[in-house]
Amino acid sequence: MRPLTQGLRAHGRRLRGKAGLSLLLLTSFLALHPARAASGSEAVRPLRLCADPTDLPFSSSQPGTPGLYIELGRALARSLGRPAETVWQLTYFGPRSVRTTLLAGLCDAMIGLPDDPDFMGPKLIFSAPLMRIGYVLATPRSHPATTLEALKGRRIAVQYSTTPHSVVGARDDMTAVTVLEPDQAMQALAQGKVDAAFVWGPVAGYMNRTLFHDAFALTPVSGPGMTWPVSVGFSRRDAALRDQVNAAIPQLRPVIAALLAKYGFPVDASAASASAAPAASPVHLAAASGAAPAQSDAAPSPAAAAAPAVGGAAVGEGHDLFNGTCAHCHGVDAVTTERRINLRLLQHRYQARMDEVFFYTVTHGRPSKGMPNWSGVFSQADFTKILAYLHTIQASE
Amino acid sequence: MPNKRAQWKSCVAVAALLAATPAGARAADAGDWPMYGHGYDNTRFSPLTEITAGNVGKLKLAFAFSLGSLRSNESTPIVIGDTLYVSSSWGPKFVYALDARTGAMKWKYEPDIPDDVLQYACCDVDNRGVTYADGKIFVGRLDGHLVALDAKTGKELWDTKVVDYTQGSVITSPPLVVKNLVITGFGGGEYGVRGSLQAYDINTGKQVWKTWTVPGPGEPGNDTWKGDSWQHGGAAPWLVGSYDPKTNTVFWGTSNPGPWNAAVRSTGTSDYGKLTNLYSASTLALDADTGRIKWYVQDTPEDAWDFDGVNELVLADLKIDGQTVPVYMKADRNGFFYVVNRDTGKLISAEKYVPANWATSVDLTTTRPVEVSSKRPTADHPAKDVCPNLIGGKNWQPMSYNPDTGLVYIPSNNVCMDWKVSSVKYRRGVFYLGGEFPPVPGPGGYLGELIAWDPVAHKQVWGIKEDLPFNGGTLSTAGGVTFYGDLHGIFKALDAKTGKELWSMNVGSGVGAGPISYSVDGKQYVAVVAGRTVSLAAFVGGIGEKMLAATPEGGTLFVFSE
Repeated sequence: MRPLTQGLRAHGRRLRGKAGLSLLLLTSFLALHPARAASGSEAVRPLRLCADPTDLPFSSSQPGTPGLYIELGRALARSLGRPAETVWQLTYFGPRSVRTTLLAGLCDAMIGLPDDPDFMGPKLIFSAPLMRIGYVLATPRSHPATTLEALKGRRIAVQYSTTPHSVVGARDDMTAVTVLEPDQAMQALAQGKVDAAFVWGPVAGYMNRTLFHDAFALTPVSGPGMTWPVSVGFSRRDAALRDQVNAAIPQLRPVIAALLAKYGFPVDASAASASAAPAASPVHLAAASGAAPAQSDAAPSPAAAAAPAVGGAAVGEGHDLFNGTCAHCHGVDAVTTERRINLRLLQHRYQARMDEVFFYTVTHGRPSKGMPNWSGVFSQADFTKILAYLHTIQASE
Repeated sequence: MPNKRAQWKSCVAVAALLAATPAGARAADAGDWPMYGHGYDNTRFSPLTEITAGNVGKLKLAFAFSLGSLRSNESTPIVIGDTLYVSSSWGPKFVYALDARTGAMKWKYEPDIPDDVLQYACCDVDNRGVTYADGKIFVGRLDGHLVALDAKTGKELWDTKVVDYTQGSVITSPPLVVKNLVITGFGGGEYGVRGSLQAYDINTGKQVWKTWTVPGPGEPGNDTWKGDSWQHGGAAPWLVGSYDPKTNTVFWGTSNPGPWNAAVRSTGTSDYGKLTNLYSASTLALDADTGRIKWYVQDTPEDAWDFDGVNELVLADLKIDGQTVPVYMKADRNGFFYVVNRDTGKLISAEKYVPANWATSVDLTTTRPVEVSSKRPTADHPAKDVCPNLIGGKNWQPMSYNPDTGLVYIPSNNVCMDWKVSSVKYRRGVFYLGGEFPPVPGPGGYLGELIAWDPVAHKQVWGIKEDLPFNGGTLSTAGGVTFYGDLHGIFKALDAKTGKELWSMNVGSGVGAGPISYSVDGKQYVAVVAGRTVSLAAFVGGIGEKMLAATPEGGTLFVFSE
């Protein structure tokens, strides 16, 4: 009987102010469905967050330095009216640790997963993105370099098997210094062993703040494989919790901004509207993963002429934004064999409503189909650039 | 009933073992299964003849022994005298010494394996067995330690750290003991390690030599790597070694190079020139006393398909063109079966033993594969329908060689793959783009096949097709029987000449491990460990789900006799 009582109390709280009849109906419903009532008790159960105990600046079991995800998780739990509880799990092999904890029901949510349906398939669902994080170029303030080209002939520290490793390692006009962890890259930079570090922004930013007194200039880099939207991951069984979290995110925006600043995460000013960090000029790497544009089997459509009045530069930036994010599902250069997500057919499908459908979809998402809501991640200007790019590649069939 | 010929053969086997056994070791008995591959030659050929093709149908369970640990039990038991030693998965969680007649436990070794070790074992918490020499049992562990136990009591004699497991390096295979040296490698080719083989003193556990499997600056072969990529080049020798006492040579295969993006370590194209990434995906021949690399054969230069070259080297003397030639044989993951003169390193033949389309042939002079460049995945170009896929034409499951039939019995896979670069990888807070390798069933409507392969004529003599890949290793006996288990948990005895099934038994969980045969008090036994893989399924998508659905997890040693 205990779960039933708890469930009633929980529902009662949520229902305060509602008519007694509703409560009565609910009571009889719960009496018939004790299992449903038990799940209702989640409202007072702790929100269990899986986190890595050794992964600063994201999470740490050290009480003094909990990490951004832990602090954010606590704020999130507070806004849901639940106490936060942490389930510690190393994440050396990311997907496996998600499978054995979150998907095994050991915790309710995991902050910091890449919002990408390809990541672990449909078993995993995501909240709306909380922030965008990505790679940065870290250089001494005395010798700042805000483009990769400025580092020709130099030594650049990169983390093994990351996108920057693929970019720098494949080039012959600069020297890759390969390390296994991003903090080793920052240490090498501090020791003068390298001229720049091309590493994971949050780690660079956190170390720059806590260890190096902001001695380094950090330039966010965009392009394919360079930035990702960060979300809360849930088991697909927990869609209700995901919806609650999504509802709470808007009010958490100031908290997120404050935490980004506190932990020194470099934020691409053009990407995160909630950013409190100083603006930086982003480096755009059009083919950062070394990926040449895929062969297009669709000729540019006459509709390109009807593109919104934005310049060719905007199309280029939109192209980069698209390949950096949208391409994960919709294909590099919007080339995909899946017709239902083929954005080269937008014009064909929606005709005059193309722009309208585009703006509605990117700002509302199609959660049931895996398309996130991107508002709060991209600015209106970004959306316009992406759309401008899409107009240049519309196909007739 | 042993026939004269078998007795003669047993004598030869004993003599060979005597010549090569460590100082002070007891002479191996003809009934023993003294090491992982039966002998230093890794033939997995038992000279015992009591169980024959004619009577194997009468095989019955002698005893079963629960290993106390589920999932990915890949251990080959060894038998010394009347004692059977077997390890479980998870570390190993346990090593047991059993009465080889009854299964009665003599002792149990339970090491303190750190809880977090699963985090660092790329391909599950397996252990493939232990090694005996000089009254000691040697165990390589997932936590990167190599330990020596008293074979009589299971008491730990020494404990040496070989490698830091928290860099993704684990030991899963039994070491090779040659004279006074215990030689081991480790895994982790994908995670930025630089591979090495290391030899430890049999009595003290002190390191005697260490040979990097990726040459450093100033060493020959270092210039086969671009930039600093050699530092994290992989080439981890994670499976078992072989040894030829005649030339005092140790043979060992090495894993794929890292990272997956070949453009970082080479040209990223089929036109790789000298940037072949030595000694990854290779066979190394080393001086046993010093670890010096005598020669090598690289099977997959500038690998881009995860074609580890670790598969075991089976040593035999083959009659080729009227000459008896000392060779090693290797069924490489890349789909080619290599026959190499083991005295000189000269490549004799390399032929496809499974459907393979990434290369048309191997140039016998240069040893280089003739690549089909459209099948080489790069950062720009996903490759479609590449055969074999990354689990390889054959994985770690051991093949066997029967000198009576002249055939090699290969547990092969028939799976292809698409290779695309798109999926988000996530590791400890960092995201990056990784490769994704959706499996495609191989041609012909089957996913695995037990292949009886003629290594001289290089052709298949017979085969048994399986509906799942990753089936168990094989055992050949002088009784004319070939044993193996499949992923459905069916353990089978086949006529070695024809492949006709003579006997089978459901052992309840999929079999990966290789069976063994031994004899105590004149009675012949056949033993196999059942307990299917868990993690591998994650690499082969929908096929993996079928692999897991076929049987539950398990962990039991089954021993049969007549």
